[in-house]
Amino acid sequence: MPVVEYEKALLPNIASNETEWLKAYEAGGGYAALKRALGMTPEELVNIVKDSGLRGRGGAGFPTGMKWSFLPKGAKPRYLAVNADESEPGTCKDRPIMEKRPHLLIEGIVCSLLAIESEWAAIYIRGEYYNAAKVMQKAVDEAYAAGILGDNAMGSGKKAHIVVHRGAGAYICGEETSLLTSLEGYRGYPKLKPPFPAISGLYGKPTIINNVETLACVPLILTRGVEWFKSYVHEKSTGLRLYSVSGHVKRPGVYELPMTVTMKEMIYDYCGGIRNDHDLKFVIPGGSSSQWILPNNLDFALSVEGVASAGSMLGSAAIMVFDHTVCPVWAAVNTSAFYRHESCGQCTPCREGTAWMHKILMRIENGGATMKDLETLINVAGDGRPNTGMISGKSICALGDAAAWPVGSALKTFRHEFEEHIKLGYCPYKNKRYWMANGKFVNETFEHKPTWGAHH
Amino acid sequence: MPVLAHRRDEIERLCAKYPSRRSALLPLLWMVQEQEGWVSQDSMREVADIIGCTAAEVYEVVSFYTMYNQKPTGRHHIQLCHTLACAICGSAEAGEYIKNKYGFTHGKSMSDDGRFSIVEVECIGACSNAPAMLVGETLYGDLTPESIDSILGAHA
Ligand SMILES: Cc1cc2nc3c(=O)[nH]c(=O)nc-3n(C[C@H](O)[C@H](O)[C@H](O)COP(=O)(O)O)c2cc1C
Ligand code: SF4
Ligand code: FES
Repeated sequence: MPVVEYEKALLPNIASNETEWLKAYEAGGGYAALKRALGMTPEELVNIVKDSGLRGRGGAGFPTGMKWSFLPKGAKPRYLAVNADESEPGTCKDRPIMEKRPHLLIEGIVCSLLAIESEWAAIYIRGEYYNAAKVMQKAVDEAYAAGILGDNAMGSGKKAHIVVHRGAGAYICGEETSLLTSLEGYRGYPKLKPPFPAISGLYGKPTIINNVETLACVPLILTRGVEWFKSYVHEKSTGLRLYSVSGHVKRPGVYELPMTVTMKEMIYDYCGGIRNDHDLKFVIPGGSSSQWILPNNLDFALSVEGVASAGSMLGSAAIMVFDHTVCPVWAAVNTSAFYRHESCGQCTPCREGTAWMHKILMRIENGGATMKDLETLINVAGDGRPNTGMISGKSICALGDAAAWPVGSALKTFRHEFEEHIKLGYCPYKNKRYWMANGKFVNETFEHKPTWGAHH
Repeated sequence: MPVLAHRRDEIERLCAKYPSRRSALLPLLWMVQEQEGWVSQDSMREVADIIGCTAAEVYEVVSFYTMYNQKPTGRHHIQLCHTLACAICGSAEAGEYIKNKYGFTHGKSMSDDGRFSIVEVECIGACSNAPAMLVGETLYGDLTPESIDSILGAHA
């Protein structure tokens, strides 16, 4: 099938390694949205974002305009925290926004500050993103020097300040309440909600948290219009979206596409299919916390609703593709190791549950597990749906759910392979990992041919 | 030995950016680490004095965040990703390759000449360029034995 090309509105310069600095951004029509926003009331701005149908790009897909309208009337000061923690495994789409088009984000932030009647925003950038933080800081400095930011932003008499703030290596700080605690200078422990941050957030003040890509959409909505944004629509998902595609496709990368594109088109048309023309084993559609999907189920749109209809979630739109050489038990071990390591340890179901899952999975993978272990694992992890098992729905924040769902769905999807591992006492996929592009470490002697179909 | 004494103006400007002084804690620790390469207990005390909290509170924060080094690293600190997208694209093999090349073993993560140190980390947000690593502050993706040779060779 020929690949259908769409316009690239967020990242027209995705292929370039250059940063678009202020002069180039303005030459291309940048900061026109902010000029427009300065002529509007906060209510008008919130309503435009509501009408556009914009939903959060960070994971939960919450309608942005609605979130903004939860702020209590008149309560000041209020803050904006920009979530640039981007730590969900598979996700690598906020980094190119910051590194290639930092002023799009700054413009989105200032427009959003006007909408929510705030004067201060912090961009919380994960510690590993040294370069993105440097580029953002330089762009913020440019914006201050040009009078776009400051006590008299663009001569409007309004204050708009942005602080570039770096995390220091903790996945949990992407969770919104944890991000705020970390920004206050403490260990990044999440807090129980309610109260929601819109009521009591940073320093106990009303706070809005939005993802980088969410805010980068705001200037586009303002300049190109609500109708343009809504012309890309699948059910209740509007606008273009940045997909991070990784793993065993021929062309991994970050793709800006409308959410009507299906998973099959993404893998086989846009990304060129599976490397070495191997068979597809399974797909993770929305970051490592989303439920696994089998090759017989790829005809769904990559929208919030589309991925949900396939039994998983769009999450951060990070698609990971696995070919037939990947042992699902081993993949579950790797994933559970991540969540075990990243659990902040505050609540027992998550702290103990993530450790149990990882230990049992390692036993299944490396030998020594019994069928009883499998039962225990299923009891702890659940079946991949919310509020099943002993972790999901029983912890302070959604990291617990994020840890349980992929394991639960792996057990449901590949139960027979887990049982085979236990019966054999070892992993039948030997020497399964190899280098992607270059031939040196490729081990083509891979022979594990499952006797079962990958589908039920 | 105070390490930040000569940077007081910069520090006050930093603190003034936030509605609360305590928020400058993570950035101050970064300042220490960027200057010294790691965060010693002495410098934690110094940071505590600047923020106006106890040294124990600073240690509590340092020990939560994995990127603060509580002991010195090599001149070039390698952070190699071993999370899923990298793991299925050869991060284990890349790790073996680097370890063999510089004599790292389990429990020994610094080369004898102090040139390199290595740590395996969780996803570093370069998943579509797996396998990936950070050397110092620079990100390198799509690693192959050849690219590893040339990247590390360029770090004296
Ligand atoms: C464990 C955990 C990690 C998260 N990590 C991120 C992240 O790295 N980046 C992000 O934007 N949102 C992350 N989120 C979602 C945020 O809590 C929050 O929903 C989001 O930043 C809101 O912004 P949005 O409405 O614009 O999507 C995470 C959530 C959880 C539970
Ligand atoms: S669910 Fe896990 S990460 Fe979240 S607060 Fe509880 S222990 Fe911490
Ligand atoms: S999994 Fe290695 S960079 Fe994301």
